[in-house]
Amino acid sequence: MSTQANDPRQPSAVKPFVAPAVNPQDLPVDYSGFIAVVFGIAGVMFRYKLSSWLAIIFCAQSLANMRNVENDLKQISMAMMFAIMGLVTNYLSPARPGTKS
Amino acid sequence: MAKLTSLLIFSSLLSLLLLSLSPSYVLADSHFEGFEPELDDLEDDDLSLPLTDLPLRPPPLTQSEPEPAGISSLDRDSDAPDPVAEPSDPQSPPSVSDFPKPSPTSFNYWDEDEFEGLPIEQPQEPVQQSSKSAEDSASTNPNSDSKPTSQIPKHANAPKSYTVEIVCGSFLVIFVINYFTGKRENENIALSWAAKFATKDSIFEKNFSLLGVGEGEDSPLLLKEGQNVFKFYASGRRYCQGLLATMELKSRHDLISRLYNMVVPCKDEISFEVYMNDDAMDHIIFAVAKKKAAKAMQKDLRDLQRFAGILAPPRWVPEELSVISESKEVAADLITEAVLDQVFGEKSFEKFGKYFISMHFSDQHSGMHKKMLLFKFALPDANNMADISRLVALVPYYIDTVGRYKLSSQARSKTEAARSKAAQEAYRELQNARQEALQKRKAEKKKLMEEAEAKLSAEALRRKEAKDRAKQMKKAMPKIKMSRTR
Repeated sequence: MSTQANDPRQPSAVKPFVAPAVNPQDLPVDYSGFIAVVFGIAGVMFRYKLSSWLAIIFCAQSLANMRNVENDLKQISMAMMFAIMGLVTNYLSPARPGTKS
Repeated sequence: MAKLTSLLIFSSLLSLLLLSLSPSYVLADSHFEGFEPELDDLEDDDLSLPLTDLPLRPPPLTQSEPEPAGISSLDRDSDAPDPVAEPSDPQSPPSVSDFPKPSPTSFNYWDEDEFEGLPIEQPQEPVQQSSKSAEDSASTNPNSDSKPTSQIPKHANAPKSYTVEIVCGSFLVIFVINYFTGKRENENIALSWAAKFATKDSIFEKNFSLLGVGEGEDSPLLLKEGQNVFKFYASGRRYCQGLLATMELKSRHDLISRLYNMVVPCKDEISFEVYMNDDAMDHIIFAVAKKKAAKAMQKDLRDLQRFAGILAPPRWVPEELSVISESKEVAADLITEAVLDQVFGEKSFEKFGKYFISMHFSDQHSGMHKKMLLFKFALPDANNMADISRLVALVPYYIDTVGRYKLSSQARSKTEAARSKAAQEAYRELQNARQEALQKRKAEKKKLMEEAEAKLSAEALRRKEAKDRAKQMKKAMPKIKMSRTR
């Protein structure tokens, strides 16, 4: 199809690639991170370990889909914190009151 | 989003505070005393057990520790391995058969009311369990270790099931494995595309003098943005400033979206944006897409909506496609014999139609570049990249065609009128917006001034009052003084 006899290339007209500046507000919303936070908090509040586990899974998804490192890391680390806290209170805290009584 | 999360955090902190306060509740045992009678009531109401059962129930609970009952009712996930039954087991064997049933119901009722006391009660469970499991015959332990998922329904007495942990843990492991394999798959597709179309003696190498996102000879061809988006840039060609291809692949690296895509399938897509030189593109607004997509495009895209309409199906295009254009002339001129022969002809479209999504040329795009050609194709798998070579060849072909194309004077006057009208409208809108903003600012200023004035006047009033008071005082003072002197 490219039947042009002459060469279409024009080295003089080269414009190097400029990455378009992306406003952080324009990035797609990180739903999985949000869900992870919700599950993590629910897990801590209700001591429901399944919820904490789900929070960790959604954390992993959010990590896997991360595009802008600094921006998303805040939310993910927070969700991770809640999830781990939920798990810790769920599995480790039993020892304490046991010794008490 | 940020607000929401902060709210959530706040609420969670509140709950933590509750948790930290809760020991006092639990240590005061009164909690549990209130607990039992009501529990019995519930059983009464719900199950209408024979009365003879009721007297049986309290003794085991109070004899052993009160806590286990609370724990068991609260902690159990729906698979009820019944800790209530266990402590009572050795003491009152006859009642065992009755217990497992009522307690789950009590759990339903008790969960919400009692979760304040929950945290401290619950902890005791594992300790007891460990002691219990030590006491118990060794048979339960190996069971829970080897394969609890299948054993649980059988052994209602098993102290604790690890179903949740095992399912979630294995899901996480699969997720991680899938992350790496999926990432590799996506990279393979992108690389095979680049190898097919951007290496030496390929379509893009013959048409553009700069390939890749960096500068210099061996700059990387592809820019990876996230795990499933790849970008390719080319520049240095007549009629256009540059070309940006964006490959949006399926989220193969993400197990959850992969599962979701099993239900809602999607395609790997590649879209080309060609930034035309300002002087190289006449007034052209033209789009080709599958029928349904074309309707959506005509509705959603502003330039198509404003300037163009869906043409009555021209005979030269296969039936599935519809053409959106400003005028019939443009459409007829842009869909040339060569294009029909290569791609859009009946025969070739059967072959390549499944990879074609849309094509959209416009000199009225919103955004930085007004004059752009957009192409959108589906990507075949890594091994069959050659399938879309004819489609990709459309890109340089149309750059030349559009670059050379000149409207007839008749059509041009029409399009010019439409554009000037649109420009006027835009200008008017801008003016309106500006005026509105100005008025808003004025109103704000006025408000501010008024507020300041009110403040000032209040201050003046106060000063005046103070003065009056001082005057009165003065008035009063001399009198006193006078009286004193007198």
